[in-house]
Amino acid sequence: MGLKRREFLQWTGMAAAGSMLSACGKGTEKLIPFLIPPEDGAIPGDANYFASTCRQCPAGCGILVRIAEGRAKKIEGNPLHPINRGRLCARGQAALQDLYHPDRIRQPMKRTGEKGSGAWTPITWDEGIELFLGQLNALKEQGKADRLLMMTPRLQGTHSELVRTFMSAYGSRHLLSYEMVNTECYEQANRTLFGRGDLPDYDLENTQYLLSFGADFLETYLSPVRYGNAFGKMRQARQTIRGAFTYAGGRMSMTAASADRWLPVKTGEEGTLALGMARRILEKGLYDRKAVQEMKGNPEEWLKKLSGYELNRVAEKTGLRAEEIASTAHDFATTQPSLALAGDTVAFQSNGKDAVQAVQFLNLLVGNMGKTGGILFPSGPSVQEGATGYADLQSAMDGMEKETFQLGLVYRTNPVHGLPSATRFREAFQKIPYVISFSSIMDDTAAYADLILPDHTDLESWGDVIPWAGVRSPVRGLLQPVVRPVFDTRSFPDVILAAAKGLGGEVGKALPYKSYLHMLKESVQKSLNESSDAAFKKSWVEVLQRGGLYDKEKAASVVAPAQGFSPVSVKEPRFQGNEEEYPFHLVLFASPVLNDGRNAHLPWLQELADPMTTAVWGTWMEMNPVTAKSLGIQQGDLVLVESTQGSVRVPVVIFPAIRPDLVAIPMGQGHLGMGRYAENVGVNPLDLLAGVLDEENQLPAWGATRVRVKRISDKGDLVVMGHPEGSYRGELLEI
Amino acid sequence: MRAALIVIILIVLGGAGAAGLLVIYNLPLNMGDTSPVQPIHFSHQIHAGENGIHCLYCHSYAEVSRSAGVPDVETCRNCHIIIGRDKPEVKKLMNYWKEKETIPWVKVHDLPDHVYFPHKMHVRAGVECTNCHGDVASMDRIKRVSSLKMGWCMSCHKEKAASIDCWTCHI
Repeated sequence: MGLKRREFLQWTGMAAAGSMLSACGKGTEKLIPFLIPPEDGAIPGDANYFASTCRQCPAGCGILVRIAEGRAKKIEGNPLHPINRGRLCARGQAALQDLYHPDRIRQPMKRTGEKGSGAWTPITWDEGIELFLGQLNALKEQGKADRLLMMTPRLQGTHSELVRTFMSAYGSRHLLSYEMVNTECYEQANRTLFGRGDLPDYDLENTQYLLSFGADFLETYLSPVRYGNAFGKMRQARQTIRGAFTYAGGRMSMTAASADRWLPVKTGEEGTLALGMARRILEKGLYDRKAVQEMKGNPEEWLKKLSGYELNRVAEKTGLRAEEIASTAHDFATTQPSLALAGDTVAFQSNGKDAVQAVQFLNLLVGNMGKTGGILFPSGPSVQEGATGYADLQSAMDGMEKETFQLGLVYRTNPVHGLPSATRFREAFQKIPYVISFSSIMDDTAAYADLILPDHTDLESWGDVIPWAGVRSPVRGLLQPVVRPVFDTRSFPDVILAAAKGLGGEVGKALPYKSYLHMLKESVQKSLNESSDAAFKKSWVEVLQRGGLYDKEKAASVVAPAQGFSPVSVKEPRFQGNEEEYPFHLVLFASPVLNDGRNAHLPWLQELADPMTTAVWGTWMEMNPVTAKSLGIQQGDLVLVESTQGSVRVPVVIFPAIRPDLVAIPMGQGHLGMGRYAENVGVNPLDLLAGVLDEENQLPAWGATRVRVKRISDKGDLVVMGHPEGSYRGELLEI
Repeated sequence: MRAALIVIILIVLGGAGAAGLLVIYNLPLNMGDTSPVQPIHFSHQIHAGENGIHCLYCHSYAEVSRSAGVPDVETCRNCHIIIGRDKPEVKKLMNYWKEKETIPWVKVHDLPDHVYFPHKMHVRAGVECTNCHGDVASMDRIKRVSSLKMGWCMSCHKEKAASIDCWTCHI
């Protein structure tokens, strides 16, 4: 007897009712009291809010953490903090999961098996520090102190002071603070142009015409919360003006999707486009005469120098229509104040520095420097402290390969995952005989360590954070522990201070602090100019409550271009791989959700859909529908992407808003470790990048890689939230 | 004949289903045990009844927080380090303290997550603890005596002229 429709419905109805019945029964809830009541008199059920600072990315937003029953429950933006003004991005909110991650390293550990085998023995902190000191003393006694290498992200404030003092007192010059997504190119360009190597603040809020060359300021560029907020105000906060926004770049990012006009310029030709616009502005006499006079510029001479950037030629080179370039140049020059930005897809090319300078030249030409709605450099001297650049990375790599380094210290950075395989980092790193990691999670680099002295997470630590961009006057956010340490971890600065004390001598003298908190307090007291300790006691509490030291906004520094300045020509871009064999340019972009991969261990973020493709939990490749059709590739197909350097297998997302000669892959996945939510999820596209170098400036050109694509099968395991046709309709695009 | 049989079966099934739904609707929301067994046989009768300890001595947050609070293990220990040390249930308590573990009491009064119920508002308004929790001083093992259903809340709110706005409790 077959099942009739009616019977089927009856049975399903009954099954549904049955399942509802079982849902009514409640699991028994538990009532868990404190063992000992907290000393600070916290009341169960009542929340307290503590101000601290976010360290998920270098933007340095202020946060307020809601604490109830001694546990951190929610993170929001701090309204008093000048960077984010109460806003916070998803990455900042997810920092809670950093604290409660199930795969955190819970106590110091010593390697017992082969390097990278994952065999560890838990040890006590006394043993851990003793091992650390043993290594340091051994090097020192052999007179090989210079064979110590420390790797950190770009540190500022007291953290920077601490590691610098420690390294120089110990006698090693090898402090490497290099990460792949960095601001070196912008800083070099600014140093050449303006004589100061820091980053200015871009006054998006008050500008009327914004022109972005690949700067994804709503996602990962410099200070996304600050600029996202400012962009909202630029568009909607003024009664009669809605600022216009044009985006030039081959791939439509979320930022580009918010623009009024999209100029899908050919890869590596952004600088040419900028100079083409500059020439057009000069030709038509639309430049700011006063500004040009002030910088002692000679427009006629400039025009002669830019003779190669005639409109039609630029249109041909950039793959754009001449009228479009002309009208954008016209609008940019005549809608004042205006602002041009250069981003990572421009900077990481073989002609990156030229291109960034070309974009800044546009700003100079129409008088955007130092005015409201333009580019504002911080008052006073440069706030940035010297970070190490790509040249330093290369010399450190040489040292590793020649087995110069005896001892490596790794703090808050994950170079095994975060540096392209073209740098040969992973192999060279394993040649360091003894590596100590301070990671709080077993990330790709910690897995190759010999000793792990786990750091507190940010919500358990003291510290200070100086935002790397987006400030006009000094801002120093403070970190305070908002909960008691969950596990048997110790803050990295305190471990370094303990090591300094154990070493004694020069190092002990250079770092005489009782604890890192004493050092931090002393430093804050100095910046407050508070001489009396009693008064400082009070102001320290106030500073903690506000979340940091925020100076009143001062007038911007007057910054003039260096003497004898003139527009440089933009070099022809070079690419790795010839066009016939490797037909596509490869764009690797920092994921708006996982950044460069530092957030990949947080499941909230893994689950958060990419804003453009809705993809989750994996890596994908964006490809134009026309290209896909010509290769017989469909949404979700698995493809092999090959460059001269390496290959990866990824599913394809058919993405209409990308140039047909371009494919794009987000960074951030493909971890070998880093906890259960990141391990073996997606692939690491950095394996594809070829080591093209801008020799003149010693800058890497990661954007100069060409690839070819081969379809493998239809089993790409792509997880997207919408129907592939949902985001666009093929028939409307006539494809 | 066969058709009639099917119709009868359908009517019976439908009736049974409706009756079932009616029963579910009328049952208290919380169908859990009203007097569950606790990890330690703690007697309110001895503490609050015979010894007359005030409710707020142990549930000290009732006046200042939305949750009344359960005494921390240290508070229990402070008395029992002297009193009744040889009793088996007190030994259990001291064992928790020795192991530095807290006591996983089973919740007897539990409200759904969509209800905001602050103890402090009620205590400050002069509502007696016994109003909702019954005569705890006479209970050897704690037992829920109120239904904790919305109608039950409402009747008291109406009687005492407290707010019956939706947003008062469902925020």
